[in-house]
Amino acid sequence: MTETVIRTRDLRKVYRGRAAVEQLNLNIGRGEIYGFLGPNGAGKTTTIRMLLGLIRPTSGRIEVFGRELRSHKLDILRKVGSLVESPSYYGHLSAVENLEAIRRILGVPKQRIAEVLDIVSLTGEEKRPVKGFSLGMKQRLGIAAALLGGPELLILDEPTNGLDPSGIQEIRSLIKRLPAEQGITVLVSSHLLSEVEQMADTVGIIRQGQMVYQDSIAHLQQQAAGDLRLALSEPEAALALAERRGCGGELREGRLILPRMNDARVALFVKELVENGHAVYRVEERRQSLEEFFLQVVEGGAS
Amino acid sequence: MMWRALSADWLKIRGKGLWFLVFLGPAGLLAMQGLNFGLRYDYLKNIHQADLWGGLLDNLSNFVPVALYLGGTLICSMMANVEHQTSSWKQLLALPVSRAAVFLAKLLLCLLLLAASCLLLSAGTVALGWMLGFQSQPVPYTDILRIGFLGYAAALPVILLQLWLSLAARNQTFPIACGITLSLLSLFSYSLSEWFPLNWPGLAWSSSKPWLFSISGIFLGLLVLLPGAWHFARKDVA
Repeated sequence: MTETVIRTRDLRKVYRGRAAVEQLNLNIGRGEIYGFLGPNGAGKTTTIRMLLGLIRPTSGRIEVFGRELRSHKLDILRKVGSLVESPSYYGHLSAVENLEAIRRILGVPKQRIAEVLDIVSLTGEEKRPVKGFSLGMKQRLGIAAALLGGPELLILDEPTNGLDPSGIQEIRSLIKRLPAEQGITVLVSSHLLSEVEQMADTVGIIRQGQMVYQDSIAHLQQQAAGDLRLALSEPEAALALAERRGCGGELREGRLILPRMNDARVALFVKELVENGHAVYRVEERRQSLEEFFLQVVEGGAS
Repeated sequence: MMWRALSADWLKIRGKGLWFLVFLGPAGLLAMQGLNFGLRYDYLKNIHQADLWGGLLDNLSNFVPVALYLGGTLICSMMANVEHQTSSWKQLLALPVSRAAVFLAKLLLCLLLLAASCLLLSAGTVALGWMLGFQSQPVPYTDILRIGFLGYAAALPVILLQLWLSLAARNQTFPIACGITLSLLSLFSYSLSEWFPLNWPGLAWSSSKPWLFSISGIFLGLLVLLPGAWHFARKDVA
């Protein structure tokens, strides 16, 4: 197991008697892109705000870089860059002035401004007032602001929300580049599985304030693996054959359903069917999409 | 750390009309007196024959408290709005800077802006006196500085209350309504006791012991400041 960057223990936040986040245990390793997934209102933003010290947990512990957040807040925040929900910016100032206002607090060298503007490809627009920017540009400025202090951990809350497809694509490739190029750990939240699937290494799914799934994307994809469906002239006889060959399987709606197997076995089995005089009309693989799996998890069917 | 936050705030208020307001307050007060003395020059000059500058300052002093209250209210609100407007608090407070430093930077900025107003008022008073031809009498520089700054110190409780309210509430309706109400009240509360804090800026000019009211203002201001800063440091940022 690699070094843990964020670890929360039984994190809990209660708003007016309602628990927005309950017993949340996050584990994020160094250099990972962690996709924090959940429907709207599941507690993602609340969790992220707690990680940034913007709101206080009702109970539970937060450790970032192995240190307790509450007692080492400023030291930790020095190594964290964040973008929380809608972009924050000062509309009357230009992109450079916006970054300068943050730079003065961070105390980093002036040339960082040009560097981060370059990373998010806003060079050339830096002198215009930000209120005239498109949402995508504002969002990129937000990411530039998050990168300004040269963070080791980047926390991005719904960074692609409200962007058009090309904007989403841009932000996504930017996020994917960061860990590789700069060794940054990224926590990115989203309510879209496809979004997270394309960026993250590890995924945590949160539902009604509770973590319901936390594992690697690869594992998630495996869990969502599907089955093989065959349409044949004599399904019962085919099922008997399948059982003799140890493939298992069952009949459903007049079709033979077999668990997933490798290509060689599929070929062999089909050949055998044909040799036994079956007419094979269709062989299809039906995969449960990740989306279906996600819905299952989110709607309460355990994984 | 507070200086860093202050220097960032200095940049952020650019083009937000705060400097205009700093200029507008004293300019408005002086324009009123310019009009007052301009229209009935001979009459007023006659009354204040013995002390022309004192006459001008007395006339001016009637409106200094309400101007301080209104100015403080608006400056606090506009300054807070820079952060409220695009919900920049979450970005600002997730930076490695303590809440106390952020709060103190805002406080200091607001105090600096109002001090600039007071200074402009004093400078403008000298200029107005000259324009009205008061050169024959020596300029009472101490009194001229006193008129703004002693009142300013005595107005601190209200200004700091406004700072707290403005920083705490996203919607600025309540802080501004509260500030305007207090400003208007201060015009009519003269008959109340000297203990009533709204009267202190006025008394810091007209009373025989003006310093007493300025110092009380500073102390009561600190008392208001503490819960404001405590609340700001602990509140959840939406």
